Amino acid sequence: MRIAVLMKDVPDLVEELEVEDGALPLDDMSFVPSEWDDQALEEALLIKEETGADVTVVAIDTGEVDGLMFTALAKGADRAVKLAGGFSRRLANRQRGAVLAQYCQTQGFDLVMTGVQAIDDLDGQIAGWVAGNLEVGHASVVRDVRAGADTVKVVQEYSGGKMAELELPLPAVLGIQAARKPPRYVTVAKVRQLQKTASVETVDVSEPTAPTLSVRKIYKPEAAGHAQMWGDDVDEVSEKIVNLLEDKKLLRS
Amino acid sequence: MADIVVVGEIQNGVVTDATQELLTRARDLATARSRSVAVLAFGKDAEAAVKTADADEAVVVVDQAVEEYNPGVYEATLVTWLTENPALLILLSNTTMGMDLGAALAARLQIAMIAYCTDLRIEGSSELATCQIYGGKLAAEVELPDRAVVTVIPGSWAASGRSGIPMVHRFNAQPSPISVVKVIEPDASGDVDITRADILVSVGRGIQDPDNLELADELAQAIGGVVSCSRPVVDAGWLPRSRQVGKSGQTVKPKLYLALGISGAPEHLQGMKDAELIVAVNSDENAPIFDVAHYGATADILDLMPALTEKLNGRNG
Amino acid sequence: MALRGWLMAITVALIVVSLGLFLRRLNTIFQVMRKARPARRGDHLGERFKSLFTNVVLHRRMFRITYSGVLHYFIFSGFVVLLIDIVETIGEVFFPGFTVGRILAPLVDIWVILVAIGIVLALYQRIIIRPARFHGSDEKDAYLILGMIGAIITGIVIHDSFYPFVAREVFHVADPVARSHFLGYALSGLWRALGWTGPRAASIGYTVGYLMDLGVVFAFLAYLPYSKHLHIFAAVPNIFVRNLGPKGELVPQPIEDSMAIRTFQDLTWKDIHDLYTCTECGRCQAVCPAYAAGQPLSPKMVILELRDALNERIAWGTVNDPTQPALAGGVVSAAELWACTTCGACQEACPVFIEHVPKIAGMRAALLEDGNVDANAQKVLVSWDRQGNSFGQAARKRSAWAKNIDVPIKDARKEAVDWLWFVGDFAALDPRVQRLTQLIARLLHHAGVDFGILFESEVNAGNEALRLGEYGLFETLAQKNIKALNQAQYRHIFTTDPHSLNALKNEYRKFGFHAEVMHYTEAFLTLIDRGQLAVEPVGLTATYHDPCYLGRWNGITEAPRQLLQRLGVNLVEMPRHGAQSFCCGAGGGRIWMDETGIEDRPANQRIREALALPDVRFFVVACPKDVSMFSASVTAMGVEDRLRVVDMAELLAVAVGLPDVAESDLRSFPNEAGILS
Repeated sequence: MRIAVLMKDVPDLVEELEVEDGALPLDDMSFVPSEWDDQALEEALLIKEETGADVTVVAIDTGEVDGLMFTALAKGADRAVKLAGGFSRRLANRQRGAVLAQYCQTQGFDLVMTGVQAIDDLDGQIAGWVAGNLEVGHASVVRDVRAGADTVKVVQEYSGGKMAELELPLPAVLGIQAARKPPRYVTVAKVRQLQKTASVETVDVSEPTAPTLSVRKIYKPEAAGHAQMWGDDVDEVSEKIVNLLEDKKLLRS
Repeated sequence: MADIVVVGEIQNGVVTDATQELLTRARDLATARSRSVAVLAFGKDAEAAVKTADADEAVVVVDQAVEEYNPGVYEATLVTWLTENPALLILLSNTTMGMDLGAALAARLQIAMIAYCTDLRIEGSSELATCQIYGGKLAAEVELPDRAVVTVIPGSWAASGRSGIPMVHRFNAQPSPISVVKVIEPDASGDVDITRADILVSVGRGIQDPDNLELADELAQAIGGVVSCSRPVVDAGWLPRSRQVGKSGQTVKPKLYLALGISGAPEHLQGMKDAELIVAVNSDENAPIFDVAHYGATADILDLMPALTEKLNGRNG
Repeated sequence: MALRGWLMAITVALIVVSLGLFLRRLNTIFQVMRKARPARRGDHLGERFKSLFTNVVLHRRMFRITYSGVLHYFIFSGFVVLLIDIVETIGEVFFPGFTVGRILAPLVDIWVILVAIGIVLALYQRIIIRPARFHGSDEKDAYLILGMIGAIITGIVIHDSFYPFVAREVFHVADPVARSHFLGYALSGLWRALGWTGPRAASIGYTVGYLMDLGVVFAFLAYLPYSKHLHIFAAVPNIFVRNLGPKGELVPQPIEDSMAIRTFQDLTWKDIHDLYTCTECGRCQAVCPAYAAGQPLSPKMVILELRDALNERIAWGTVNDPTQPALAGGVVSAAELWACTTCGACQEACPVFIEHVPKIAGMRAALLEDGNVDANAQKVLVSWDRQGNSFGQAARKRSAWAKNIDVPIKDARKEAVDWLWFVGDFAALDPRVQRLTQLIARLLHHAGVDFGILFESEVNAGNEALRLGEYGLFETLAQKNIKALNQAQYRHIFTTDPHSLNALKNEYRKFGFHAEVMHYTEAFLTLIDRGQLAVEPVGLTATYHDPCYLGRWNGITEAPRQLLQRLGVNLVEMPRHGAQSFCCGAGGGRIWMDETGIEDRPANQRIREALALPDVRFFVVACPKDVSMFSASVTAMGVEDRLRVVDMAELLAVAVGLPDVAESDLRSFPNEAGILS
């Protein structure tokens, strides 16, 4: 079985997000792998451990994706493929979906996995775009991926804690909510060693022609109703909570 | 053929609140632009549920294959219907179904897609969507293109309560090789039902260590509430899934929601923002939870929990 | 003549067989050591001999437990004196008329008595006192060895008692030292009374004594290297090749490939030597905070598990068999390895200088490479890699504490400063510690010190990353800091964090960074003594907790005490202080790890130790991690009204009389302590 894990990096939300002229200065920001893509990779590696599947990590080269790719190789991915075409950090998901689908089409992967979402999915999630372009079966918000010979079984999550087990014929595209185990750690030394011994394949792709959304501005939302803040003093805060409970008659008599 | 199509969700025989919200805004937009609204819904309850919906047209798909949500069948059916009946705007709720089908529909129909929408409005000659991005830390204002799929975060605006008399007709479900093997109902497993509690002491990542849950338990006991949590706590295996509040967990409306160490990812806010009273404590003063909370504090929750417990016990005893 | 011939033959046979077995065993062990990793331990010969004198002849570490020290000294010195007996006894048989003279001979008897006392004391300790530190040790072996030693000294007295008769009746030589062996001479009175003085009776008696002595000695020699008592031979060389580098330096050389310890070949030869030096005394176990907390770690058991696995693999010829269980996670469990706080109390306690911590860190590295690490610790590792701090905060937030105070703080990257302050993660980012950090800035400003920080160019020093086994990450962090440090211009450098101090001072040497890094207690002591900072005595009674990475690993125990004295603090020491301080439980990355399995937090135990002191209301700390660990314990134990955790900076602020400190920072000082009056 051949699995593709589609990964991308996103701005590190730990950093203060500064908006300049209605846009994010993406080139000055630090990027980290999208946490759901890390979950997808982990789930794929677990399948590899169970079934001996071959795992290829695919990312679109929009800047510094090498780190992410070598980390994936160090964790146990078999191949890493970077799709290059002079793309900028602002590449929209519709375009990403087209580029990724185009590449996956040529490779004949049995299973394409990616994170259920990313923090910058303004124009839809990658899993849906890729599946729609490939016109293959897909399911998002899933976990517990059990790969069989011709089909894959997953658990899809709904609101209210309801879930369903789905069976999809291969090939299929999955948007992974969470891996069965927390993503594994890989040491800095191992990543460095892989940088010396392994290589990331670069595949040239052409820019798709689909139109992009017209974003008027990006801004910090005015907190519709921001909480009234009580500071950080433990005594004061607990006093205030107790008083509030009393006011609202929520204290047990 | 309608201009705006709402893909509806039915629960317990009725249209969900989220779908009502979509219908409300669809009607607002349609009125302003002299357009029509259609609602499309699945399942044997669909017809009864949508016959009073505020739409011009209602399409119901009744088939054994759509009784349970099946991404393959739903997508195939929607693609077929929408190809035959091209719409300008297709609205879905940002639920599992919306996350599942939104972008795929857009790709299949070769139209645009706008996700995590929190507002849809007309401004002059343009139609605008406001979307949440970066975990709710930023918003984007996007011009609606000629044709688009939009997924809307439930609760973004109020439902009008208007009803209508749509013309109802049926459409056949389209086949798909994807099958639902089994449905897993929420595992109550004898655990408390957090949706029925008046007070929830809800903990998130900030709890840091499973041992600290004891502090939350003691506080919940002192305050007369129940411990609930955000997704990371469940993923870490520290609390059962039945305690999870949020998109993939329970939607709760307690009298008091005490959010401790919860940053407030959109998925979590979706599940608790309608609580009557929200008090949030988080060390990060910029945490989005403070945008929905009524009162907030930046105290250390590990210190606060025992201190508050002590104060409450002091009063009770 | 028949007796002599027979005894000579049996002696030669004993020597050949036992020495052969002995050497064969040593060679086997030597071969394992040869395949192990290198370690440089041949330098500083003068210091090494000096250390032999203090630790072997003077038994310095042994005497930290007086009872065991005394009994061990009796038995240990008995072995030295035993050599006199062996030379004399063999001499008597091989060279008729041989004696060691009237001076040496009675020494043997004196030491027979001392060794006998030692054995009685040892038995009393093992049977009646039963110290907990022996838990897990091989006690049967201990009794066997004590029995053998008992047999030897009994044999000595027996053959000495018959020798006068044998000398006269069988060997036909004079025995001028007969009376000097006063024990044997006394016993010979009995044989006279029984009439066992003829050639036949004397020969039998002498042979019995001879075999009990030399027979057991040589059996002992053959058995030793298979038992824990190889320490008799290994201890002295092990002390000789002890680590004389900076104590706090975990890794002496930059590592090319990996620090992971998976097989015995990944240990250094010194590590292997350590295994055979251990005599299971359990002093390490008795001081281990993880063990005391009820966790599965005992430093002693780590050594024993490794040694037993090695012995087994030597026996089966599988030392280099890759299919054998890994050392990390197999021979020594992951739970044991991750429980270690790397406080180093074990190494400090070990009388024979076994190095536990590098082995544990190396095995942790192996676990880490396999992704076997605590989830929270993993998050911290990722944060260090991405943001450079353990809090997962943006790098720019590192200097946020400096914003709300009225003190100009220079950017040492842009302008020259007199004092460069390496702040450290906790001091910079922990909300509880930030106010202390601000106090220190104000104190420096008050003293007119020209100081600066590295702002967001400073990252975590990497001390804990290295101790979690993540060498590559440590190196990355170190290189970032060194780059920033090299760009800055400063005359002195100090840090508020002992863990950072240890890394900067000891672990950055291998990358060519050599600077006299000071701890803030040292820096402020200097400022006071130079007259730059005037202090009024605060007049209170307090105890002081030595941070592991300050006191034990860096030997900085005096400066904080002198500072306390300058500040007019009446210091009451806890039983465990200085290099023997007891860890708060936070080190080695433990502060971030799951606490499951901890029955009694080390920090709580420490607070109880302080509470037991008379009239002590203040618990003085000098490490940001201690501030959070001990404050949490005092709150959790509900003893806020009896003991208050104060940082040295708070005492300084009061002593200096910083304005508004009394209101804002020290309001929780109990007033009756008189500090504010």
